[in-house]
Amino acid sequence: MNKSELIKALAEQKKLHVDESTKIVSAFVDSIKEALVRGDRVEIRGFGSFKIKDYEGYVGRNPKTGDVVHVQPKKLPFFRPGKELKEFINS
Amino acid sequence: MAQTLTKAGIVDYIYERTDKNRAEIKDLVESILEIMKQSIKKDHALLVSGFGKFEAYDKQARKGRNPQTSETITLPPRKVVVFRLSRKFRAELNPS
Repeated sequence: MNKSELIKALAEQKKLHVDESTKIVSAFVDSIKEALVRGDRVEIRGFGSFKIKDYEGYVGRNPKTGDVVHVQPKKLPFFRPGKELKEFINS
Repeated sequence: MAQTLTKAGIVDYIYERTDKNRAEIKDLVESILEIMKQSIKKDHALLVSGFGKFEAYDKQARKGRNPQTSETITLPPRKVVVFRLSRKFRAELNPS
């Protein structure tokens, strides 16, 4: 399933207009993204949690060519599925 | 200080951007999460463009050990869910 199918499924289930469903789903995703960009944690009961990990930059090498590469510091999100989601997937 | 966004915070965020009341939005958020869960289970994947992809994959059974009793146990095969972020979101998290 992708985002537009999610929007459609919500519209059908809740008898919403697709435009309205699009607004709701987009705001839902944006709220999570904005929180993570700020560096906040996200915790959704029954589904899971997201948190940002900070990685420091380092000097690495391209193993094929031996060239020195400078890897920039970066932020990456991590998702931990919640108990309910884990049980649901395995049931 | 890092804060935590919870369902209540998500409901507030949507409330400020639509003309629905909080109870309706709360119900819609629960529906979205339910559809997401069903989709991850049924399709083994859920792609949210601009954000990332949730994937369910199979883990083989493996031998484990109870660290307290050193007892060897076989962990059953199970499915795990991973999140892979999209290039777009990665770029938004790491503006150059």
